[in-house]
Amino acid sequence: MADNKKQIWQFPWRYSESILVVFGLMVVGFALQLTIGKFDFSLLADPVNVKLGSAIIVFLVLFSFVRNTQFYQWFSGVPFSVSLISALLILGIAMGLIPQMVKLDPHAHDFWTLLGLRQVTSCWAFVLIYFVTLLSLGSLIIRRLIKFNWRDYAFYLNHIGLWILLFASGLGAADIKRYVMHVMEGETEWRVYSDNDDVLDLPIAIQLNDFVMEEYPPKLTIIDRESGEAQPIDKPDYYQIDEKNPIGKIGIWDVAVEEYIHEAVRNSDSTYTAVPMPGSTPAALITAKNRETGDVKKGWVCGGSLAQLYMMLPLTDEYAMVMTQTEPKRFMSDIDVFTEEGESTHAQLEVNKPLKIGNWMIYQYSYDSTAGKASSYSSFELVYDPWLYPVYFGIILFALGSICLMWSGNKKKGVKNDVE
Amino acid sequence: MTWSEYLWFAIPAIICWLSAAGIVYISNKKNLANALMILGTIIFGAFIVGLWIGQERPPLRTIGETRLWYSFFLATIGFVTYRHWKYDWMLSFSAVVATVFACVNIFKPEIHSTNLMPALQSYWFVPHVTVYILSYAMFGAAVIAAFIQLSRLNKGKEDAQLYAFIDNIVYVGFGFLILGMLMGAVWAKEAWGHYWSWDPKETWAFITAAAYLVFIHMRLQQYHKRFVLWMIPIAFILLMFTWIGVNYLPAAQGSIHVYSN
Repeated sequence: MADNKKQIWQFPWRYSESILVVFGLMVVGFALQLTIGKFDFSLLADPVNVKLGSAIIVFLVLFSFVRNTQFYQWFSGVPFSVSLISALLILGIAMGLIPQMVKLDPHAHDFWTLLGLRQVTSCWAFVLIYFVTLLSLGSLIIRRLIKFNWRDYAFYLNHIGLWILLFASGLGAADIKRYVMHVMEGETEWRVYSDNDDVLDLPIAIQLNDFVMEEYPPKLTIIDRESGEAQPIDKPDYYQIDEKNPIGKIGIWDVAVEEYIHEAVRNSDSTYTAVPMPGSTPAALITAKNRETGDVKKGWVCGGSLAQLYMMLPLTDEYAMVMTQTEPKRFMSDIDVFTEEGESTHAQLEVNKPLKIGNWMIYQYSYDSTAGKASSYSSFELVYDPWLYPVYFGIILFALGSICLMWSGNKKKGVKNDVE
Repeated sequence: MTWSEYLWFAIPAIICWLSAAGIVYISNKKNLANALMILGTIIFGAFIVGLWIGQERPPLRTIGETRLWYSFFLATIGFVTYRHWKYDWMLSFSAVVATVFACVNIFKPEIHSTNLMPALQSYWFVPHVTVYILSYAMFGAAVIAAFIQLSRLNKGKEDAQLYAFIDNIVYVGFGFLILGMLMGAVWAKEAWGHYWSWDPKETWAFITAAAYLVFIHMRLQQYHKRFVLWMIPIAFILLMFTWIGVNYLPAAQGSIHVYSN
């Protein structure tokens, strides 16, 4: 209970001082927000972030020469770090409860907007706390590195990994560029639109050789012929077409798929033939039997597409069986990518399978969803992030640190002095 | 092999798992519990391998298929964790949760064929979710222990062993939590173009991690014991919010983590 005897601001500083300092930082942050507006991350764009990053490291090294002072001990110690983490926790909750805006309404003057809490990551309070956390964590790491001990490997992995991750992701944020490029099949494109709808020339060109889309077999359902709504309205019943399991039930109807054609084209006599081509759609020959009346209906159903009409199977005057629109299973663009240096790369892009070229990553982004697999273009997202390698290095260290936590838990001194 | 053979593997596996979950509490039958747990996991794993061969693709494309992996990895990692830390409840927990996932595939067979959207078809999906489930188990156990310790604290009879248990379980759970988060970040870079977008689910995961960090760091010193112990249930509520509550938040409309239609 020595805590109570010491005056506030008298060293050693503990929670009271730490909380007050962090509270002060937040007040300064909100004051800045109210007076000069949000923190503009683009100010940090290269080369400012490199200089600032170097300055932080130089500062941390110089600062470590006074590591035996009580101020340094406090700045790199537990109460201050807990207070900083708590501040991030509180700002995080604000971010999690108040809907965050990508672009602010310039006419919005409500309380949350003025305090910057609709864009917490560019709010001065958040930026200041982040910055001081980087310094506090950095000075702790240096203090412990000077007294290096192999047995603290988990400490080093976790703290250094986190520090690198925070450092590279925060300072690098300003250098990230993201564009969407639309490329017609058979053509080459290097222009994108910026956020302000200006046309930009990128140092990367993409040639789209082919766009391929695979679809899941569609579902069958029963609709009201008048309203078109799937029945029953509160919880529509579907049967997923599955060639290995062609018998199903929808409501009071037993359904049997007699024939299923995944890429079908309609014949003049309203039957279907398999023709693999962009405009084809799934079609199925269905027998439906009403379990209550014994009524049997048989006929083709087809969900239709831009290229051909849908076909339904009337069951009664009121209801009909229809096929749903297909859902994409996989879409793939076969592309060639050319860089300014004259290099070219061939790739097949899919969701979850991007292509990395230098500091650029190219993603399968979208396609003409109304045309589905007949889409005449494919869209790509191009992301430029020169800080990705340090971020991944931080992630790897931090991940190794968490494996240490899982394996070693909290095996240290502890047990006895806890209850004293 | 197809889903029609599922019952022949699922039921024996479930019997093995549930028996192990009970027998582990009989002190001289630990080896039997180990053997049953391993046997159940092998039987269940054999079905996954069979399905993989039968379908000529890794079973990762439907919700039913991912559920197979949850069961398999929960049983496997849960067993390894139990062997390492010797917490009997860990074996029971992972056996029971693995059984629950296996049963969903028996009783709701229509979800075998509920298709996954392309963004979810990734090798990261299953490990990302599995390690989170295991961290929930650890943190859940920590909540119970924290309440016991709080009531002891009120009587002035703290238990050093219990403190050691709480610290350990929170460290292990935090390791799982961070691993899940980092795997999510790497996956997000592959699928969405950025490793951290402050999507509402990510924001709440950040909040949860921060709350456990407060606990872990405050435990390094001896101050404010009651507050520190209360951090565990508070952090757990935040964790539940991250898991379930986010879907109902106005701030989360349009979140990329909300997949239901």
